[in-house]
Amino acid sequence: MKRRTLILSGLGTAAALVVGWGALPARSRLGAADTLPVVDGEIGLNGWIKISADDGGVVLAMNRSEMGQGVHTALAMLVAEELDVSLVKVRLVQAGPDKLYGNVAGFVAALPFHPADAEPGRETRTVKTGQWLMAKLARELGINVTGGSATVADAWDVLRIAAATARAQLLGAASLEWRLPLAELSVTNGVISHPSGPQGHYGLFVKAAAATPSGEVILKTPKQWSLIGTPAPRTDLQGKIDGSAQFGIDVRLPDQLYAVVRHAPALGGSYGAVNVDAALKLPGVERVVRLGTYAGSTDALAVVGRTYWHAQRGAQALQVEWRGPPAGSVNSATIDLALERTARAAADENGGVAFHSRGDVTEASNNAARQFEQVYRVPYLAHLTMEPINCTARVAEGRVEVWAPTQMPGAARQVAARAAGVDEAAVTVHVTYLGGGFGRRLDVDFVGQAVRIALETGGRPVQLVWSREEDTTHDFYRPAAVAVMRASLDAQGLPTGLMLTSAGDAITPRWLERGMPALAGPVDMPDKTASEGLFGLPYGVPNQRIAHVATRSRVPVGFWRSVGHSHNAFFGECFIDELAAEARQDPVAFRLALLKDAPRHAAALRLAAEKAGWPGFAKEQALPAGVARGVALHESFGSIVAQVVELSIEGGKPKLRRVVCAADVGTVVNPTIVAQQMEGGVIFGLSAALYGRIDIIESVVQQTNFSSHPVVTMIDAPRIETHLVASTRPPGGVGEPGTPPIAPAVANAIFVLTGKRLRSLPLAGRSG
Amino acid sequence: MPQNRLAFPGGHVATTAGDGLELSINGQARTLDDAAIDPSMPLLWALRDVLNLTGTKFGCGVAACGACTVHVEGRAVRSCVTSLASVSAKRIVTIEALGSAAQPHPLQAAWIAHQVPQCGYCQSGMLMAAAALLANNPNPNDADIDAAITNICRCGTYPRIREAIKTAAAAMRGTIAKPMAVKHA
Repeated sequence: MKRRTLILSGLGTAAALVVGWGALPARSRLGAADTLPVVDGEIGLNGWIKISADDGGVVLAMNRSEMGQGVHTALAMLVAEELDVSLVKVRLVQAGPDKLYGNVAGFVAALPFHPADAEPGRETRTVKTGQWLMAKLARELGINVTGGSATVADAWDVLRIAAATARAQLLGAASLEWRLPLAELSVTNGVISHPSGPQGHYGLFVKAAAATPSGEVILKTPKQWSLIGTPAPRTDLQGKIDGSAQFGIDVRLPDQLYAVVRHAPALGGSYGAVNVDAALKLPGVERVVRLGTYAGSTDALAVVGRTYWHAQRGAQALQVEWRGPPAGSVNSATIDLALERTARAAADENGGVAFHSRGDVTEASNNAARQFEQVYRVPYLAHLTMEPINCTARVAEGRVEVWAPTQMPGAARQVAARAAGVDEAAVTVHVTYLGGGFGRRLDVDFVGQAVRIALETGGRPVQLVWSREEDTTHDFYRPAAVAVMRASLDAQGLPTGLMLTSAGDAITPRWLERGMPALAGPVDMPDKTASEGLFGLPYGVPNQRIAHVATRSRVPVGFWRSVGHSHNAFFGECFIDELAAEARQDPVAFRLALLKDAPRHAAALRLAAEKAGWPGFAKEQALPAGVARGVALHESFGSIVAQVVELSIEGGKPKLRRVVCAADVGTVVNPTIVAQQMEGGVIFGLSAALYGRIDIIESVVQQTNFSSHPVVTMIDAPRIETHLVASTRPPGGVGEPGTPPIAPAVANAIFVLTGKRLRSLPLAGRSG
Repeated sequence: MPQNRLAFPGGHVATTAGDGLELSINGQARTLDDAAIDPSMPLLWALRDVLNLTGTKFGCGVAACGACTVHVEGRAVRSCVTSLASVSAKRIVTIEALGSAAQPHPLQAAWIAHQVPQCGYCQSGMLMAAAALLANNPNPNDADIDAAITNICRCGTYPRIREAIKTAAAAMRGTIAKPMAVKHA
C-alpha cells in the first residue's frame, strides 16, 4: 500500500464523523464556564479559568496527569504568563470528563506522516488535510490522554488564549467600573491599576468580567514573556520532599480495606478449582474475589484484608489450579525467531506496509557496487513504574468513586462503569499524582479490577495494590521487534538505497480493543507507532523503502516511553553508524553530509558534537585511554535530540561517565523541566539498553522483581549535560525524546572501543 | 530537628507487656492494638496501612528499591523487610519528621535548589538514605554516595540527587558550629 493511500483510507472513518463541522481554531476550545466545578466564591470565565472573588487567585482546570514530567508546572506557567500573575497564584483543580479536555495534538501526531512533510509551517497539502481531519475527529472524541509527549503542544495555544481572554474580560470590567480607558490600565501580579490611583485585584472584577466581552484578544509576543522560558521552580516539589504528596497508593479513606491480586501466572491464563480455606483462616483476611478480564487483564484472584500485608499473606495462602491461555502458550524465544523470518520474507518480497518510500530501491540495489545487510533485534520490556499498580474504589448507593493514578481518566471511568454495571454518569474518577507512568498507566485494567472488588465490600472503600511481582509479570510490554536493515552502497561505500524492514506487534489496535473498544475497528489499521523513528529517518539517501509487518504474537503489548522510537532509534542509528564505518568516515561527519536537507537535525548534532569536544570540532577534547565516544541523533514527538556518550568497559559492562545531550524541542517553556526530562529519558533508556529484557517461557514471564530485572542506579548513572537549541517554533515534546538516542549512542561507543557491533539489546555482560 | 531526639533524649520507648505493640515513631509513642497485627508484620505496612503515615513508600517488598527507607536508631533501614518485632524498642524516624516547609532538613533545601524530584515517588526513601549517609559522613565523595544510595528511581533523578547531597553536605559543614547543625550531626 502506498503511504498516501494508507493515510487517506485511515482518515475515511474520521471524515465520516466530522462532516458538518466548521473551522477549528484553538479559540473553539475555550469552553464555557459551566464546564468547571461550582465552588462558592469562584467565578468561571471559560472552560479553563476561574477567579477567586476573595483574593483574585486563579484556578486552572488541569486536564493532564502529573507523572513526573512537570506538566502541572508547565501548564500553570502558560496561564500565569497571560494573566500576569505569579506562578504560585495559580491553583489547580482536576478537569472533569467534558470532551473539551481531550487531547487533540496527541492524536494529530499519531498520523503516519514523514516528519519532513509535517514540518510546522511547511506542511504538504496532504499533511494539512490529514491533520485538519484528525484534529476534528480528536476534538469530537474528546479523549483525555496524558501521553505522546503532547501535553504542552496541545495546551500551548488553548491555555494561553483562555488566560488572555480572561485577562481581557477582567480589564474590560475594571475599565467599565472605573470609567477609565482600557488602554491605560495595567496588571501586576493579578492587581489591575490605573496611573491615577485606582487599583484592585482580579477578584473584585470577576463577577462583572463574566458578563463583559473580551474584545480582541492578542497573545503576548515572546519578547513580552516574563515567565515562559524561565527556569521557574516546579510547583509540585514540597509534597514530594516531605512525604505529603498524594499518589494513588496513598489514598486513605474511612474504613478502607486493602486488596492484593494473584493473576494466573501465564499471560492470558485463568484458574480452575480454588481452595480459599487456608487464606480465610488467616487473621486480617476478609474475603476472596474472583476476577475476570478487565481491559486486557489476565484472570486473577483478589484477597481483601485489613492491610496490604494481611491481604498479601492471604493471597499467598490460596490454593489454586492455574490454567494456561486457551489459545496455547507462547515463548519469547520462538517469537523472536518468527519475527526475523517475517521481516526477512517481507524484505525479500517488498512486503509489509511501506510507511515511507522514495526513489527506487530495486534500481539502487541493481546499480550498487555492493549490498550491506544486518539484522537488529530488541526484547520485550516492562515499565516498572516506582509506584506499584494500584487503584482505590468505593461502590455505594449506586455510585462509583475511583481514585487512580491514571493517564486515561476517561477510559478509567468507562471500565469502572462496565465493571459496576452503572452508567458512566454515576462514576467519578479522582486522578492522583502518578508515581511514574511511562505508558503503563495508559491502560486501565487495574481500575476495572478495583471496582469489581469494591462491589464485594459492602460499601467500604478498597485499595487494590499489585505486588512488584504481579506488575513485572503482568504488564503490557514494549513489543519485541526485529529489523532487517539493507543498504545499497556505491563504489565509494556511500549509501544509495535503504531498505529497512521491521516486524513486531502493533500496539495501538490491541490497546484500543482492550481500553476503548468502541474505537477498535474490525481490522487493524496500520499502526504508525510500530515504524515511527525508522520511516522518518532524516538522512538524504535518495532511494528508500521503510516498511513494517505487524504481527500478532499474543503477548500483551503496550505503550512504553517513546514507543516505537525506543527500538527504531537503536536500529536506525546503529545502522547509520555502521554505514559510516563502511564508508570509512567519521560518524558525525558522515551524518552531517547526509543532513543537507535537514538543517534542524544538523544543528542539534553539531551542538552535541561541539559540546562533547568531538574530534574536528572547536574545543576538541582528548579522551583518556580506555574511554570512547559514541553518537546518535533522533527525532521523536516533534523534537530532535542528539547525544554523545563517553564510556569505558568495566566488568563486561559499559560504564558511562558523561552524556552530552543537545535538544531542539521548539520553544522552551521551562528549561529546568526540559533538562530533567532529558536526564530522565537518558536514564530510562539506559536501563533498557544495559539490562532491560522480559523473557517469556510457556506464557510465564521469567523476571519478577528488581532483583531479577536490574535497572540503572546511582552507580551506573552518568553526568548528563543538556544543551538546548534556540527555537521560535511551537513547543515540541519533552517527556520522551530523550530516551531513543541513548541505546544507539552507547552501542556505537562500544564499537569504537571494542570493534564489536552489538545488534541486540540489552548490552550488559556482552560488551567485554 | 529531628524533633523526636529533643522530645525523647533517652530515645527508647519500651514495648509494653499488655495487648498491642508499642512503637516510637517520630518521637511519639504509637500503640498498634489491632488484634490482626502481629510482630512479624513488616514496619512498612504498620506505617502505611495502620498509622496512615504514607510518606514511606512501597516499591518492591524485597529490600531492592529503597522506597521504604526509614531511620531506625539513626540508621537507614528498608522497612518492607523489617519486622515490627525487631524495632519495637527502637527509635523510628520517617520522612514525615525529616523536616518541614518552614524548617527543612538541609537535604530537603538542596532537593529544591537542585529541582530533584520528578514523579517524586522514590524521593522519601532517597532523602532518608541520604540523611543517614550525611549523619555518618559529613563530606561524602562520589564513591561514598554510590555505596550509600542504592535506591531505585525510574525517573532518573540520580545526577541531581548526587549534586544535592554534596550541596547539603557543604551547607551542613558550613554551619557545623551552630546548634541547629549539631542536632543534625
